[in-house]
Amino acid sequence: MKVVKGIRISPGIVIGPVYFFTPGKEAIPQSYIAETEADGELEKFKRAADSAAGELEQVRALVLKHLDEDHARLIDAQLIALTDVDLVQEVTDLVRREHRNILWAYCSAMERYEKALVNSFNQFQQERMIDLHDVKKRIIHHLSTQGEYTIPQMREPAIYVSDRVSPSEMIHIHNQNTTGIITKFGGIDSHAGILARAFGIPYISNVAEIELIGTAREVILDADHEKVILAVTPAVLQEYQCKIRELEKRKQHLESQAAPAVSKNGVPVEILLNAGFAAEIKAVNPELIGGIGLFRTEYLCIERNDVPNEEEQFQAYRDVVIALKGKPATFRTFDFGREKMMAILDLEMFQKDAVFDTWGGIRFCLDNPWLLNAQLRALLRASHFGPLKIMFPLVTNPAEIRAVLEIYRQVQTDLKNEGYEFAAVIPLGAMIETKSILDELEELTGLLDFFSIGTNDLALFLLGSKRTDTVTKNYYHPMIFQAINRIAAVTRIKSFPVTVCGEMASDPYAVLGLLALGLRSFSMSASALITITDLVRTVNLKQVGSLQESLLSAVSAMRIYDLLRDYQQRNQKSKPHNQT
Amino acid sequence: MIKQTVKILNRHGLHTRPATMLVTTTARFKSEIFLTYKGVRVNAKSILGVLVLAVEPDAEVTLDANGSDEKEALAALVELVANKFNTE
Repeated sequence: MKVVKGIRISPGIVIGPVYFFTPGKEAIPQSYIAETEADGELEKFKRAADSAAGELEQVRALVLKHLDEDHARLIDAQLIALTDVDLVQEVTDLVRREHRNILWAYCSAMERYEKALVNSFNQFQQERMIDLHDVKKRIIHHLSTQGEYTIPQMREPAIYVSDRVSPSEMIHIHNQNTTGIITKFGGIDSHAGILARAFGIPYISNVAEIELIGTAREVILDADHEKVILAVTPAVLQEYQCKIRELEKRKQHLESQAAPAVSKNGVPVEILLNAGFAAEIKAVNPELIGGIGLFRTEYLCIERNDVPNEEEQFQAYRDVVIALKGKPATFRTFDFGREKMMAILDLEMFQKDAVFDTWGGIRFCLDNPWLLNAQLRALLRASHFGPLKIMFPLVTNPAEIRAVLEIYRQVQTDLKNEGYEFAAVIPLGAMIETKSILDELEELTGLLDFFSIGTNDLALFLLGSKRTDTVTKNYYHPMIFQAINRIAAVTRIKSFPVTVCGEMASDPYAVLGLLALGLRSFSMSASALITITDLVRTVNLKQVGSLQESLLSAVSAMRIYDLLRDYQQRNQKSKPHNQT
Repeated sequence: MIKQTVKILNRHGLHTRPATMLVTTTARFKSEIFLTYKGVRVNAKSILGVLVLAVEPDAEVTLDANGSDEKEALAALVELVANKFNTE
């Protein structure tokens, strides 16, 4: 038996076969062609390079528009590499002299360069290195007829094992009934991680020996204890089968008595769901939640690698509203941050670049008013079918909200004139997640109807940590607790509604801290619903309030974490005594 | 054929951005142009070839050009190198 450790991204335990995905390396047909076919093969390559160049030109235009010339040059490098003179010569030789098929010829020529580049570059250069992986993926995609070499193809439900998993791959493997995920790279706040929790798929990353796991026949993925077990003994297998059955029983039991979430001293706490995919909504029982606290509309774009038009958006929003059976859905307008744009375009090359942190959010929509206009029209039209709220991401000052409200009123007028029906009153809110907006909260309360605290980005802006790098839980930091306390204080005076919707709201200890600060509304991933509802029931809100002072005077994240953990452990010990 | 040895002034050597500028410049000329570093000579019109050299900061490399516009080509490249490939 062998145990390999990792870091939990999404909880759960699963036993099963593995599917090892190594894009590009997989089953490239090593077949020979007749001499007369050489011209045709090379013509295929030319066409593939042309199509890939067309795509990269589009990416370049986007990068140039939204980033700068310096970043566009990295795309230029990829464009040049598509038809690199030496590479083309080598491919031509392999096709004409060795009679290899074009896919094989191309992959072997590229592999030589990839190896040479990886070996010869230092750390800085690695980060800014030409994205040959992307170049190769595009060419292979255009050389293959059904994406059979670039898209995971699972033949049976299995645990997906790979170096990494991109958001679009995540959607493919979810549709192919993947039972678990094990990767070498990927942080807890990565978008693929958010999706795994939304889909309820156990996932651990930062796992070494991926190749070893990938070639195993059957493994146990215990994400709850952050490990993978190989060459399982019958005794351990039996132990785990029992564990899984118990977990399943407990889950069913909790589900049967899940809603409503009321604290031990009888105060109702709002438990909402974070979502972003049509598939997630289908899996939701509206009885178990107070509504959707965060619907990430940009995920509609990830699903189709494109921005949907007004009609497509209207249908998607309407379906969500109808599925919720009267519970309100809060839609966040497109939040195309730098990373999200990269995720949508499946480009990973800019992820470690700190320059464009504040680029995106509502600013992006105001820079592209047609985008916001179409989205608001679609949302208002959907409001005819059930209650919904709209919130705006990454707000940095009240002027942005005034500009949004102007567009909003224009959309109302337009729709009325066109004869559309929509709700007379739709609550509008702002995501509180930037440093600068913390000084303008009072003014914002006069313009809007609610706030939602995005703890992922708030941590990023206050502490400067990167989403993809973040393995440790940075939201325990004293600066985060102080900022949230400030938001809570402003809203309490005015009885202004506020929800917490980042990953922090899915973490039991952190939620305990938020309850102590006076927050009463939380929006979380589906995998956390039961745990957090369960937690709320065990907490006496009057008692937990006494933690507030020590939380706010704590000087380190570790201290805050210890305070909360100790409180909860004492609380759980006293639970049976109190119940009798 | 004419040639000249130059020093790479870019902070991180001949990485992706300067290499891109080098290759877009050499592509404008008809002459054959090569780059030699540590005894390895590569086609200066191939970005992959240039990148594989992994030229370090402050390294000396030799450019050689052969063709009808070799003089203009070499002059343009020497200037490009001196200007840190217009990237810093």
